[in-house]
This record gives sequence, structure tokens and C-alpha cells, in this order.
Amino acid sequence: MALFSERREGISHVPLHIVLVAFTLFTIYPILWVVSLAFSGKQSLAIATLPENPTFWDRLRAVTPWPEQFSFSNFQSVMTDQPFAKWMLNSAIISIGTTVVGVFLACTAAYAFSRFKFPGQRTGMMAFLVSQMFPGTLMLIPLYIILVQWLGLGSSRLGLIIVYATTSIPFSVWMLKGYFDTIPKDLEEAALIEGASVGRIFWSVILPLAKPAVAVTALFSFMTAWNEFILAATFMDQETMYTAPVGLRFFVGGFSQQWGYFAAGSIIVSVPVVFLFLFLQKYLVSGLTAGGVKG
Amino acid sequence: MSQNAPQQSPSAAGTVRASPNHDATAPSDPGPSGRSGGSQRGRVLVGLALALGLALLLAHGLLVRAQADRGAERAQRKSVVALLGLTDLVQRAGGTGDAVGAVVAGWPRPQGGAARVIAFSGIKLEASTFPEDTGDKVAPRRLSREEKPLYDRGQRLRAAVETNREEGGARKSEVESETLPSGGRLLSAPVEVDGQVVGSVEWFTPVLTEVDPISWTPALLAFLLPLAGCVAGVYALSRQGARVAVAAALFAAGLGGYTVYSLRTLDAELRETEEAVSAELRTRGETAQKLMAAHDLNAEPVLKPGVWDADAMRRPLGQLTDAGVPDAGKLAVRGAQVRGDAGKALGALGVLGLAVLLFIGMGALHRTVATAVEFRQAYAYVAPAMVGMVLLVFFPFAYGITLSFTDANLYNSSQPLSELWIGLKNYTDILGDFSFAKTAADGSLVFNYLNFYYTLLFTILWTVTNVTIGVTVGLLLALALNVPNLRMRPIYRVLLILPWAMPNYITALIWKGMFHQQFGVVNHVIRMFGGEGLAWFDSPLTAFFTALATNGWLSFPFMMVVSLGALQSIPGELYEAARVDGANRWQQFTAITLPALKPALVPAIILSVVWTFNMFNIIFLVTGGDPGGSTEILVTQAYKFAFERYRHGYAAAYSTVIFGILLIYSMVQNRMSRATEAA
Repeated sequence: MALFSERREGISHVPLHIVLVAFTLFTIYPILWVVSLAFSGKQSLAIATLPENPTFWDRLRAVTPWPEQFSFSNFQSVMTDQPFAKWMLNSAIISIGTTVVGVFLACTAAYAFSRFKFPGQRTGMMAFLVSQMFPGTLMLIPLYIILVQWLGLGSSRLGLIIVYATTSIPFSVWMLKGYFDTIPKDLEEAALIEGASVGRIFWSVILPLAKPAVAVTALFSFMTAWNEFILAATFMDQETMYTAPVGLRFFVGGFSQQWGYFAAGSIIVSVPVVFLFLFLQKYLVSGLTAGGVKG
Repeated sequence: MSQNAPQQSPSAAGTVRASPNHDATAPSDPGPSGRSGGSQRGRVLVGLALALGLALLLAHGLLVRAQADRGAERAQRKSVVALLGLTDLVQRAGGTGDAVGAVVAGWPRPQGGAARVIAFSGIKLEASTFPEDTGDKVAPRRLSREEKPLYDRGQRLRAAVETNREEGGARKSEVESETLPSGGRLLSAPVEVDGQVVGSVEWFTPVLTEVDPISWTPALLAFLLPLAGCVAGVYALSRQGARVAVAAALFAAGLGGYTVYSLRTLDAELRETEEAVSAELRTRGETAQKLMAAHDLNAEPVLKPGVWDADAMRRPLGQLTDAGVPDAGKLAVRGAQVRGDAGKALGALGVLGLAVLLFIGMGALHRTVATAVEFRQAYAYVAPAMVGMVLLVFFPFAYGITLSFTDANLYNSSQPLSELWIGLKNYTDILGDFSFAKTAADGSLVFNYLNFYYTLLFTILWTVTNVTIGVTVGLLLALALNVPNLRMRPIYRVLLILPWAMPNYITALIWKGMFHQQFGVVNHVIRMFGGEGLAWFDSPLTAFFTALATNGWLSFPFMMVVSLGALQSIPGELYEAARVDGANRWQQFTAITLPALKPALVPAIILSVVWTFNMFNIIFLVTGGDPGGSTEILVTQAYKFAFERYRHGYAAAYSTVIFGILLIYSMVQNRMSRATEAA
């Protein structure tokens, strides 16, 4: 109850609904627009072709997000004629690799930060936090020199996995440490009395208990890697090694105007992450607002 | 590996002192004069041995390499002298004919060496002393098909000479040298007659090892003598500080002694090289005079053997006088240069070794190792992540900062950073340039879009407008959705979150398409109501608007979700009570709703400011800085400097400034939140 708290039950919400529906339509318009381009079967930016002297209604037709005729041809050819399937595969391999490496490293580190007291503990946590403030471009130049010029890992999936995994560690560590802190220590002490080693406790007591948090962290890592654009665009300069984001931009960047492919590809790429996001957003909000500044 | 050495035998007692958990090792300590005394002595000795041993090993390696370089230089210069001397004679003989054969035969060769002369006219092997060119293949003859590479090499040299002459410079090598699979070296030079390249001379020398191996004795002496001194000193002195001081002095003496020896060796080697080349030059000069007389060769211009000692462009090195005697002044200059380089390297080694010595001697290593062992489990769990972070986050960060003090760009990336060092110049260029706008002739203000302060102002404007829009729209929507008993609230909520859920690069590209001048939906709507479509990306203001619309669209859901969460946690009784007290709606909003929103909204705004400040994708993909870089924010500008103008050093400095701004922002924000908490 707030601004509208004086409305009682029985009082109509109709004006409010009108406003909300209008704003919601405005909000989802770009999405409807891209969907209708995807199903239009054409590469053009225009939903409908305008006649010579367009009337108001012709123009209204041109902005209505409904394709003139339905066709799946954009989806078909973007996956078969274009190398988009290959780019999706690259993205999938890189995102899964990032998730596995990043989450494993983050789990062990978060466990140590949560359960052990050792010199450098505070410094380590602070270092992780501060590293989140390093601006992307400041990291981009040295990373480019180190990975591409020194190690020759330009246009390779491995290079991108390494970079994504390490840059995802701090956020994952903070998330996981927060969760590990809530697991009562009694369980471990009981296991310790039974004679279990620290490694065993970690694997068979803590990790199973922390499964939900690990899953959420893993999904975040995956999503971040899947959606990343700048590093991929900088490191992957061979067309066959593009990731999906770089590939989508390739369709409509520069002088290329293949909006149909772009729209179909965007939908294929977005649908899984949009659902993932809707599922994860409540964890994200609490994690972010607790973590303070993050760039 | 070797740094763990003191852990093992002489100093186990030290471990005991540092960490009481390791009592088990205590009984095995055989220290004769009390536990800590023995271990501390051992520490000093091990420290000195390690530091000095390492430093001397590296210094010896450097000396051996310098020696090998000098040897290679000597062999190369002697070969070039022989080659160019022979070429000189061949040219005087006209490049072809019997005299050429006679000169080649008469030119002294080292054991196993050989020479040949190619003439372009007729593709002929003019003369040769190679063992395979005997019998039916004896010169002069036409080159066979398999020997085409010889002819090609000659043509390459001719092209190089002509290019250099046309450009009036020295860009292409006029003397080719290559190492053959056998290890010998083959050099070739063009033959010029009357300004035309008419052929080439090739000179083969077998493997020559002219390097005197450097003896290990001096290094060993420089190692053992200080160590022996240190053993005596350690037992004579009782205070650990004094022992370490003695060890440091002995280290300096040992390395210093070896430095003196190295520099002397290098100097002698340099002199020897010049003398060897000079001797070669003089004997060959005399031979040339004799051959010229014997075969009645062209005596004009006067024979100047000094020019035979030349580089790959046939420019005289100038280390020897025209008569072929070492030039004392130049020798001194070169010697000083070599000594300076060597001195610098050895100085660095000294500092490094001293650090090792102090680290071990003062017991820091001990404590470090003890801590590492005591907390080994914790460190083992943290290590993988830490190593990854250090290698790929902290090291690149430090490297980026270092880069910002250099003039690094795409074209000089092979040079070491120390040679590109320009100090604070990048920073003064960025921060010291205040000419971000000037008044044009007609009185209007013209902005310099590349100027840092222009971009900074633009970025601040961008951040403030975006966050304002995001917070306003998000808050209003949250209030609307929070109306009790609102139907379809979950549906609205999910649909309104979609912009945040979409990958933002896709959002950016979609909006760029919607703002297309001819086919874009936005212009259609404008035309629908009788307006004219705009060229959105042609003026800074409209381009800014496109980016603002895009970012506003994708940033309000975050604020909405945060506000909605906070609103829903306000207990309804508070409003009931307020109403009972007669508060109106506005009073309820300011007294209850806003204070309840604050704890959630303030962190969200802080976060949102940083996000928007760094919102690379939207600017990069929607406006791309158009027109003319006017809608660039700081991070995209830094990217363009790095990857479109290839000024890595400048871009690194730019990024460091951005980092500074963010750091100040977060410090101010921290202090403010602490102040509000305390209040």
C-alpha cells in the first residue's frame, strides 16, 4: 500500500490498468518487433513495405509488430546457410568451460574464506572485491597483449575460457561464501570427530548442502559468459571462432544489413537466458545489493 | 625448491620458534651453541650462498652470451671484409672475363672456404672455387636449372640496391647472409659496374668458433672466498644484524669482484675484435694491391680497404680508419656503451641477490614458510583461485598501469617497455589539455570531442540522466504494481522485467535498427503524424537521445524490482496507524514509504551509477560514438584509443584515470554510507 492506498476493494483499477497496459506494450514493443522480423522471412528492417504515397494506415501497418506473412525460413537458413550454429557451439563450449572452471575454483576458495582463519584472509577477500572495480578497458589492453601477443591464444576458445573464468571468480566467491557462512559448523565438527579429513568434509558434507547456491552461482557464470560481448569481439578475429554475440553483431554491423538473420539468431540466443534470468533474478537482486560497488 | 633448503637441516629450530605446532622436529636439532644461534648462523650462510650463487650463475651466463655475441660479430665482420674486398676487385675487373677468375683464385680463403661470382648477362657462373665446380662443371659456364637460386639471390640484391638508391635511404639489405645447414655461413654482395648491378659475389666460410670459452674459475673464486669469509664472520659475531651486514658486504664484494672481471673481459674482447678485423683488413688490403698490379686492374678510384668493414647496407661501420687501424676514440665510446649495459644488468642482479639474502638472513623466509605450513589447508583451498586471479587479473592490472607510462603502440610491441618509457607524458596529455571547446568564427561553441574533459562531462551527463530516468520510472511502476489486490500483477511484473533479462548487446542492436533513418520504426511513427524522419546519428543531441532511450529502456526494471521488494516488506499496519492519525497520502508517502525504500534504493543507485558509467555495450553498439566521437563515454573512448588508434600506452593511461575516478567515487560513497549509518 502506498500512493494508491486509499483505493478500497470494490473501487475500480481500470485507469491504472490502462496506464500499465500501455506502458507494458511500450516496454515489450522492441521484443515484438524483433520477433516479427524473425518470422517475416525477409532480411529487411521494415516490417511491411510502404507503397509509393503511404497513408496514415499504411504507416500504422509498418509499425505494427506483425509480419506480412509467417515464415520459418530465417530460422532455418541462419542455422544452416550461415555459420551461426558454429558460433552457438563456440558460445556453448566457452560458457560451459567457464562455468566448470570458475565455479570449481570459487567453491574451494569460498570454503577456505568461510571456514578457516588464516593470515591474508581479509586481504584476499578485499582483493577480490577491489578487482571488481578494475575498469574493463584497463584490463582489456594488457589481457590482449598477454593472451594474443604473448601466448598466441587469440581466436581460441581456451583463451576466452581462462579469462571469463578468472574474472567470474570474485562474484562467485562472495556469493558462495555468504551461503557457506549460513551452514552450521556442528555438522563439520561431527564429521571431524568421526575422523573425516577436511577434503572429505568439503566434498561430502558442505558441497551437497550448498547445492542450491552452487547451482545458482553456476547459472550466473554461464549467463555472464554467454552474454559477454567486448572481450569476445576483441579476441576472436577469425570468423569461424566468433561467439554468438560477435556473430549477431556481424549480421547487422558495418555495411551488412541482414536483419532477418539477426532477429532469428537473437531469439535463439535470448530465449534460454531470458528464462534463466527470470528464474534467477531474486537471487541476483539480493546478491548485488549486498555486494556494494560492482562494475 | 632451493628456497626451502634452510627448512631442512641446519635451522629446524627456527621452525620450532616460529610455530609451536612443530615440536616434533625439536629433538633432532643438533645446534652446538643454543638452538636459535645455530639456526640463525645457518640462515645467514644459506642466504649468502643462495644469493651469491644465483647472482654469479646469472652473471656468468650473461658474460658467456656477450662473449658469444662478440665472437659471432668478429666472424661476421671478417667475412664481410673478405666478401666486400673480393667484390671490390671483381668490380675493378669489370665483373666478367678472365681477370675475375684470376682474382677469385688469388684471393686468400680460410680452410674450407670458397667464393663464386655470378654474372647476370648470359646467366653465367663467372668464377668459382667451390669443390663441386670442378671437372666438367668448371667455371666459367652457364648456370644450370638447379642453380637458379643463385641467380635469384643476385637479382634480389640488385632490387635491394635499386630500391635503396631510389628512396635515397637504406631500407633493404645489400649484403645477404645466411647460415647453411652445415653451420657455415654464406654471404653475398652485388657487383656494380658503372652504376649498374651486373652480378653478385658469394663468399662461404665454414663453421668458425672463435670464442675463447670463459673459465669457471673466477666465478668459483668469487663464490667461495666470500663464503669462507662469512663462515668466519658468522662465528666471530654474536648479533644477527651484524652477521647479516657482514654477509651483505661479502655479497657485494663477491659480485663486485666478478663485475670487475666481467667488464675487463668484455673490454679486452672488444679490443681484440677490432684488432682481429683490422689485421684481416690490412692483409687483405695488401693482397688486393698485389692482385691489382698483377692483373692490371682498374686503379681508379683509389683502393680504400676501410670501407670493406661495413654493415648489411654496405655502409662503413666506421670503427676502423680508412687505413684499417682501430679508431681509439670510437673504440672508447663503444666500450663505454658495452660497459654501461653490462653494469646495469649486474646492478640489477646485485639488488635482486641482496633482497634474497636479506629475506633469508633476517628470517622472513622462515616465518613465511612456517605460516604456509601451519595454514597449509586453507592456502591449498585458496591457491588455485588466487593463482588464477594473480595471473589474469592482478598482473594484467599492474601491467596496464606500467603500460600507461610508456608510448607503447601496435608497431613497437616487440621492444621492451623500458625503451618506450615516457614517464607521465600520457597523463599530462590527457589531464593537462583543457581545450575542450572553442568559439567558432560565428560565435557558436565548437567542442573538441577527443578531449578528456568533454568526454568526462558527457559521461557524467549520461550517468545522471540515465539513473534519474531509471529510478523515476522504476519507482513509479513499483508503486503502481504495489496497489493491493491488483489483478494480473505477476504478468505485468514478468513482462516489465523482460528488458533487463534480454542480453544488452541484443537490446542495443535492436534499438539501433529502430532508429534507422529510412526504415526505422521511430521515424515511421514520426512520419505517421506528419513529421519528417530524423537522421538520428547525425547530430550529437539526437544520437545522445537514442542511447538514452536504449539504456533507459533496459535499466528501469532493476530499479522497479528493487523498489517493489522494499515496498512489499512495509507492514500494512503502519499505513493504518498513519491514517488513524489523520495523515494524508502525501504525508504517508514521505513519512513511511520513502524511508522504507531508502535502504534498498541507495545501494541500487550506487550500483546503477557504476554500471551506467561503464555501460560500454550500449554506446559502442548504438551510437558508436557518432557523430565524430561526440557521444563517446570514457570507457568506449579508451577502447577506441587502444583498438582503433592502436595507442596502447595512451589508452592504458586513459583507463587508469577512469579507474581513479571510480576509486574516488567508491571511497566517497563508502564514507557517506558510514556517516549515515553512524547518524
